Amino acid sequence: MMHCYLYLSIILFCLGIVGVVARRNVFTVFMSIELMLNAANLAFVTFARVHESMDGHVLAMMVMAVAAAEAALALAVVILLHKHKGKLDTNVFSLLKG
Amino acid sequence: MEQSVNYLGLIPLFPLMGAVLIGLLHVFTCKRTALPEKVYGILACIGPVLSFVLALKVFVALKALAPEARFLTHKAFTWFSVGDLHINMGFLADPLSCLMLLFVTFIGSLIHIYSIGYMGGDKNYGKFFAYMNLFLGSMLVLVLGDGPVVMFVGWEGVGLCSYLLISFYSEDRSNVLAGNKAFIVNRVGDLGFVLGMSFLFWGIGANGFDYLSLKANVQHLEPAIALTVCLLLFVGATGKSAQIPLYVWLPDAMAGPTPVSALIHAATMVTAGVYMVARFSFLYAGVELAGTIVAWVGILTALLAAIFGMFQDDIKKVLAYSTVSQLGYMFAGVGVAAYSAGIFHVFTHAFFKALLFLGAGAVIYALHHEQNIWKMGGLKNKMPKTYITMVIGALALAGCPPFSGFFSKDEILYSALATGHFGIWAVGVLVAGMTAYYTFRMIFVVFHGEPRDQHAYEHASEAPNVMTVPLIILAVGALFAGFLNLPGIFGGDQIVSHWLAPSLSEQHPHGNLFVEILAIGASVVAFAIGIKIAYGKFGQGAPEPSFSGFADFAYHKFYVDELYDRIIVQPYKAIGSSIWKVIEPNVTDAPIKGVSRLYMVLGTAFKVFQVGYVRIYALYMVLGLSIMSLLLSQSLN
Amino acid sequence: MFEHVLSVIIFLPIIAGLLLLATPASKVIARFTGLAISLATLILSLDLYMGFKGTGLLECVENIPWIESLGISYGLGVDGISLFILMAGSVLLPLVYFVFGTKEKGYYANLLIVQGAMAGAVCATDMVLFYIFWEVMLLPVFFMLGLYGGPRRLPATLKITLYTIAGSLLMLAAIVYLGVSYHAQFNEWSFAMDKMAQLNLTGQVAAVAFFGFMIAFAIKIPLFPFHTWLPDAYTEAPTAATFVLSAVMAKIGVYGVIRFVVPVFDLEFARFAILLAYAGVIGMMYCGLAAIAQKDFKRMLAFSSASHMGVIALGVFCMNLQALTGSIYQIVAHATSTGVLFLFAGILEERTNTRTIDDLGGIAAKAPVFALYFAIAMLASVGLPGTSGFIGEFMIVLGAIKFNTVIGVLAGTTLIIGVCYMLWMFQRVFFEKTSSRAENFKELTLVEGLVFLPVILLIIVMGIYPHPFLSKITPSTALQFAQPASVVAQIPASNVQNLGLTIEQK
Repeated sequence: MMHCYLYLSIILFCLGIVGVVARRNVFTVFMSIELMLNAANLAFVTFARVHESMDGHVLAMMVMAVAAAEAALALAVVILLHKHKGKLDTNVFSLLKG
Repeated sequence: MEQSVNYLGLIPLFPLMGAVLIGLLHVFTCKRTALPEKVYGILACIGPVLSFVLALKVFVALKALAPEARFLTHKAFTWFSVGDLHINMGFLADPLSCLMLLFVTFIGSLIHIYSIGYMGGDKNYGKFFAYMNLFLGSMLVLVLGDGPVVMFVGWEGVGLCSYLLISFYSEDRSNVLAGNKAFIVNRVGDLGFVLGMSFLFWGIGANGFDYLSLKANVQHLEPAIALTVCLLLFVGATGKSAQIPLYVWLPDAMAGPTPVSALIHAATMVTAGVYMVARFSFLYAGVELAGTIVAWVGILTALLAAIFGMFQDDIKKVLAYSTVSQLGYMFAGVGVAAYSAGIFHVFTHAFFKALLFLGAGAVIYALHHEQNIWKMGGLKNKMPKTYITMVIGALALAGCPPFSGFFSKDEILYSALATGHFGIWAVGVLVAGMTAYYTFRMIFVVFHGEPRDQHAYEHASEAPNVMTVPLIILAVGALFAGFLNLPGIFGGDQIVSHWLAPSLSEQHPHGNLFVEILAIGASVVAFAIGIKIAYGKFGQGAPEPSFSGFADFAYHKFYVDELYDRIIVQPYKAIGSSIWKVIEPNVTDAPIKGVSRLYMVLGTAFKVFQVGYVRIYALYMVLGLSIMSLLLSQSLN
Repeated sequence: MFEHVLSVIIFLPIIAGLLLLATPASKVIARFTGLAISLATLILSLDLYMGFKGTGLLECVENIPWIESLGISYGLGVDGISLFILMAGSVLLPLVYFVFGTKEKGYYANLLIVQGAMAGAVCATDMVLFYIFWEVMLLPVFFMLGLYGGPRRLPATLKITLYTIAGSLLMLAAIVYLGVSYHAQFNEWSFAMDKMAQLNLTGQVAAVAFFGFMIAFAIKIPLFPFHTWLPDAYTEAPTAATFVLSAVMAKIGVYGVIRFVVPVFDLEFARFAILLAYAGVIGMMYCGLAAIAQKDFKRMLAFSSASHMGVIALGVFCMNLQALTGSIYQIVAHATSTGVLFLFAGILEERTNTRTIDDLGGIAAKAPVFALYFAIAMLASVGLPGTSGFIGEFMIVLGAIKFNTVIGVLAGTTLIIGVCYMLWMFQRVFFEKTSSRAENFKELTLVEGLVFLPVILLIIVMGIYPHPFLSKITPSTALQFAQPASVVAQIPASNVQNLGLTIEQK
């Protein structure tokens, strides 16, 4: 039974990775990151359940709190980026090119 | 055996202090109102004259002692002392240094007095006398210094002063170059001297590095080391005393004011080499090969310089080459172990060469710094005192009996013959004839015949008394100095040789009457032939000759200067600039540049991965994590 | 002379420098603070000098445990070798504040820090403490070079930084190695100098550690072929930094060899001495020859300095008493003569706005006092008897002859090489016709004349009466050759001849 949850978690995580690496819209990237976080949360909760320990639950709650904070900050950054360039395409932002 | 007197150090100190005093006065007043020339003149003469008085005192003190005990020393202070190396700032007066002392201070003083007149009106009057005093002081340190290291102080000091005085008219580049040349060539010799001293020290120096200790220990010196030391010291002497191959600086040294030439050529500096060899006679006497080399180098220098001297047209250059030539004789003398004969020639030469230079100076002064003999002529009527004194000097130089040069030169040639050095004697006689020729060529061209430059002739007049009086005093010396060492054949008893004997490790050859007469006869004949040819060609006045063939070659001094320039100076500069322009950036600096280039290359290579897109960086992270977890899982299994 | 005089000499300038940097002091205040502090240091140093007994052992020792778990202590002390380098710094550095009056605050502050750090490096008796001061003394030089240097200062700074940091790291590794070896052999931690000398080091690792130290010091000296940072750095650095580098800091490299390498790595040193001596003598000739090709008088002096440092280093490698003592003496002589020459070069540059030799000429006629001073310093630099330069040079050549005839003869050529470029430069700058740039050359002011006078007199006094100085140096240098009786037994046969001299000296 546990395996199902873990497979789901892996699938969600991989979807998130693909989203981050392949998509160029800043919002999509952002949502993909959230997806990965939630995949991790799912794994935490699953293991907590299996091991009958509360640690995983604590961490999941923690991640959700951090994700909320991150969302607030990241949205502000996105707005700034949009103001700066007028676009939300990640390829526009390539100042670190060597 | 030796006795300590505390005034020896004062002898060099007087002129040195005079130099400092005059130098400071000059430096601090020359930009404002210059002091009157009289002040400098008087200040400058005090030092040399006081030294001369003290030298007389030393002479009297030595005279009072028994001949074998004639050693006065004065240890002023410990100069430096490290381990076995103990060097005292010590002074030694023995018959040899006393003789040098007497004539150096005497002639030095006369030249100073003469300079008061000659340098009149020069804007660097003070500087000139400061250098002159320094020069004399250095020479006195050289003569009096007890031990090679103290001698080296004076040795380098005279080199420095010659540099300063030769480049005295420093606005003209050629003068400064002549000064540089003198200093650098001297330094080449000094290198030999320093190395010689070092070998000598490690040979026998640990028990004291003053002359008497060295003399006492000389038998412990290994023969090979002794030969090395002798030859290295002689390299020093060739630099200072202008012998082959380092003679090239001396003719160029004529760039300085004429009294300087007189000082360099007569009293100081160039005689240092001969003095040094005589000083180390205890060393040279034991190494016959070194003596032979010295003698041959000397006599060949004499020949070469005499050849050059026959074709020069600058009055001072003629005299300069005559000095080189006479120095060659002196080395031939000390080389064949006739040290007293060599030193005696130094002594007589000082008089007549100072006389000739100062006379030439008077001529140059009268003609407003004209030095080309082909612009002169007929001056004997205008400048009778100068003419007569210069003829006396010329006769002495040419070796006419009974002038001083005859006796001293003859003594050297006789010694060479008596010790079996026929080659040296034969060349020496040949050079004697050439000397007579070029000396009287100069006298005839300058003083006889018709004036070549009418304008200059009319403005010429006899020099002032301050210049002619020294000339007359020196002429007396040039006339009679030879009688001091009159050999037995003329009824004398060689006073100078006997006086010098305690200082020198010399054995007088047992000559026979025939050899003696042969030597004298040959010299006189050579003199007569030389002067006759000179009279025939130039006695009635002659036009300026144009040289061709060998004469032209000799006129250009066999192109030795050019040769040295080509094989030493230019390559030296080329090496310098190739080090700076080629080797330094491409070889020495290459490793460090290579390292920095390596980093550049690596950076460029890794730049490819920096695409600038965040998502690609995320991809790198994913790839990295995947690889790491793969490796991890494998290692766990 | 009081108990902690060395600490005061070290930290007074450092603290003053840091305070200057921290406060918004004006240029004038900075200059006078610097002057006052350096003069105070000079007085303290003179007091130290007068009280110095010359026993050959360390005097004024301070020893406070610092990091006890590793045996590192705050240890200071001077002997005849370090005293003279300390004095050279203390005597010469006040000159800078007199001569250069209008520089930035940071310029003076850095000078103060470097002065203290150099004193610290010279006095430290603990290797770690030495290393710290060694690094601290490099930093102000980088700043001065990078901030106040000439137009091409940045590449020069980069080069000197890379070079010296690389050397320092090698040295750090070697120091750690020594500490660990000491722990392994004696089962306690210590980095004290005198204890390190008891180490018995053999094998390849020891040789590597030896070269770790040697390269660090060789870069600082600079010894051929590690000298290539020098022409750029000396030329581009502001005159005060060049002055510090040439007059004092380079000497600390030589000092490091004498103090750290010779006692600790005696076997390796004896084995490689001939190689190092060749490096010294080749460096002397190489840099001396390169000097003649220079058109910029500051760069020419830089090469001249490197050339002389080759001779000084050679004196250390010859392993006999005369050469080593000559080296120490030459260190002081060279500090005074070359240091002053660099300051004069700075004055020339400030007054004529050029560093090109060909642009100048006839200055002797315009400024006789300046020319006289310059000439005296120059003659000392070429080793004329009667000036300070001769004594050391003569003893080094003398010792080199004993060590190895070929090296001795080559070392002797410094007599000729030095005089060639110096006379040439003097001729172009001071003699000949006055050039347009030199037309309005101002003579030294009264203050400048008086400030340089003691140093010029020192040059002459050290040449004429060196005995009082040498009598303080010789006991310490003699001690360097005191111990190795046991060492000699272990030397390979081929080297015995060379080392034999060292025993004989005792």
